[in-house]
Amino acid sequence: MMSKQQSALVVDGVCVNLGDKTIIHNCCFNVGQGEFVGIIGPNGAGKSTLLKSLRGMLPVASGQVSVFGHPTHSLGDKKAARLVAYMQQEVNVGFGFTALEVVLAGRYPYMKWWQNETEQDRYIAKKYMAFTGIEALADKPVNQVSGGERQRILLAKVLAQETPLIFLDEPTASLDLLYQEEIFRYCQDICKEEKSVLIIAHDIKLAAKFCSRLILLADGKIIADGIPSDVLTVDNLEKAYGLHSAVFLNKVTGNLDIHTYAAASHTNRQTTVHIIGGGGSTGDIMRRLYEGCYRLTAGVLQEGDTDADVATAFEIDFVIGQAFSEITEQQEREHKEKIVSADVVVLGNLCYGKQNLNNLQAAFFAAKLIVIEDTPIDERDFADGKATQLYGKLLLQKQVTVMTSMQFTTMIEKHELRELTEKMK
Amino acid sequence: MVIVILGVLLVIISLISLGSGQVHVPLTSMLAIVGKQLGIPGFASAVLMPEQTAVVWHIRMPRTIIGLLVGAALGVSGAVMQGVFGNPLADPGIIGVSAGASLGAVIAVALGLTANSMYYMPLFALTGALLAVGLTVALAMRDGKIPVMPLLLSGVAVGMLLNAITSGILTFMNEYRLREFLFWMVGGLDYRRWEHVWLAVGPVMIGIIILCFLARHLNILVLGEQEARSVGLPVFAFRLLLLFVASVTTATSVCVSGSIGFVGLVVPHIIRLLIGPEHRVLLPACALAGGLFLVACDTIGRLVISPAEIRVGIMTAFIGAPYFLYLLRRAQKGGGLS
Repeated sequence: MMSKQQSALVVDGVCVNLGDKTIIHNCCFNVGQGEFVGIIGPNGAGKSTLLKSLRGMLPVASGQVSVFGHPTHSLGDKKAARLVAYMQQEVNVGFGFTALEVVLAGRYPYMKWWQNETEQDRYIAKKYMAFTGIEALADKPVNQVSGGERQRILLAKVLAQETPLIFLDEPTASLDLLYQEEIFRYCQDICKEEKSVLIIAHDIKLAAKFCSRLILLADGKIIADGIPSDVLTVDNLEKAYGLHSAVFLNKVTGNLDIHTYAAASHTNRQTTVHIIGGGGSTGDIMRRLYEGCYRLTAGVLQEGDTDADVATAFEIDFVIGQAFSEITEQQEREHKEKIVSADVVVLGNLCYGKQNLNNLQAAFFAAKLIVIEDTPIDERDFADGKATQLYGKLLLQKQVTVMTSMQFTTMIEKHELRELTEKMK
Repeated sequence: MVIVILGVLLVIISLISLGSGQVHVPLTSMLAIVGKQLGIPGFASAVLMPEQTAVVWHIRMPRTIIGLLVGAALGVSGAVMQGVFGNPLADPGIIGVSAGASLGAVIAVALGLTANSMYYMPLFALTGALLAVGLTVALAMRDGKIPVMPLLLSGVAVGMLLNAITSGILTFMNEYRLREFLFWMVGGLDYRRWEHVWLAVGPVMIGIIILCFLARHLNILVLGEQEARSVGLPVFAFRLLLLFVASVTTATSVCVSGSIGFVGLVVPHIIRLLIGPEHRVLLPACALAGGLFLVACDTIGRLVISPAEIRVGIMTAFIGAPYFLYLLRRAQKGGGLS
């Protein structure tokens, strides 16, 4: 996690109290130069308190914070302000100060008390205003600009402080998506110059997309710390947020994505449902069953098929087949095992070709089979009528129930699926 | 630019103030009197009427100078207080300065000291003002910090308490002394002498200069406590220093003129609307505008019902209050207070 250079920030066993309450418990972490660290966690986890105490705005009850080897309590006010810049959550700029005046405030730590800003200071202020794209607002009072513009002015101010370490407390709060991303992008650029940024973020997905590292905080304790894909796990999210989720790589965006849902009762876990799908026919069914907390298996899904992606995202145990190839004997065997050990098997409204005809044959081994039929089988048969023949035979079996996907969805919502399987047992 | 205009207006209004009143003095003789008294070569030979000299130099000159000093002090202190409190409705009296000064003055009157020397009243007023500010700050201070809201509230509480004591003392005073106190309460510039000028000029000038020097820090402080600390400004020290200097400046001016309202509130407001909140320009401009406003009010008060006078403390409220309301309404229409 650490870069080779000296640590920009060392947090060693920091505890913070507010009144009688301990808000931060024994936090330890190091931040190397050039790291872009996102601090995430639910409301009231102590994110802002942690950041404030790291900047020396709140006293630390125990432990020590060091910035580039200097313990913060031994740093003078201005020396500290030349090492760490801090942007607070809600800034109310009253009295109609202009953007340039506010940005110039960032040069304060470089001036002796009797000095005024030099041309150099103005140049630096304007440079960062250009960076965040607000040069045109220089003479505009800050209380007359939009929320996004104000945040960019304040970001320019923090940058004008030219510190190697930058703390941002939710700079993207109440901003449009466009501006949120913009702020993260600016930070990413800043980190390329070997500066380190600590940002408190509400939007986990954005943080995961841009930050090089995430620290997950809950109840004042660090729950996880590492690269986004290590921190954002189903377990961590449940621990921190009490959130039921699926974390997966979104193939469309290439980013880590999180699907959250209200979980059904966990008693459904005892029921195993096997899904026979393919060609995107059962993605929706898999998601609904996953949210219903059933134990799921699936097969045989071809590699690269969206059904296979959905199954991966929800960590469903499934048999995978080579794309555009017939199902092998090995796969067939595994698939049958799963079908036999499942309480219910669901056969999706899938199309049949030579490659996956085997899936239809395998359905005969189900103890209880629900066949989803939204379109007549002859429209889905691309195996010269073989599928229609097999399908017709299948429907004659007494363990088979046919319904539309709509009916099946209602059944899941009403928890009738479990009753059905219990009756059978 | 604004400073230059204010400076020119200030000179003009001062000359009008020196020239007008029951005894009319033409501009040329007035300039000659001032020039001669200041020992400017070329005026030494001027032939002057002793009566005019007495009126201009011994009566009107100290009055105008006191007006300029008091107005400047109130204007600057008002701007500083509004900055420190981050509240455009703060004025120099907000942390108990006026209440303390009144109590000091009433004590001096009650003890009958005012008959002995004219210095007792100002000195008592000054002491009272400083003690009141000290008490207010001490009550609000916690963990080496002066949070703004508690300071504001303790200022109000201290003010009320001291006013109650003042009223208590007043109920026991005889009518003659009551009148004397009332005269002081309604601030005025009449009967001010050179002694008053010497008393006030030092503290007020030094105070204004210090405050103008601290203007850049005040700019940062106005952005809020956290913002100020994040760029390395020692908030506690500067807040205390600014409050102390502004209070001494206000107290000194109140002790020579009695309490004068609205200058400290209205002047910074108007100037801020004109030139913005940058304190390095705002504070000097407020000093000039404060002096200008007070001397103008005094001159108008002297002229409207001549030969009688309306005291300047009443005039400032008469002119200031409507104008302030007008500004507020206009600002509301324009979308929010500045």
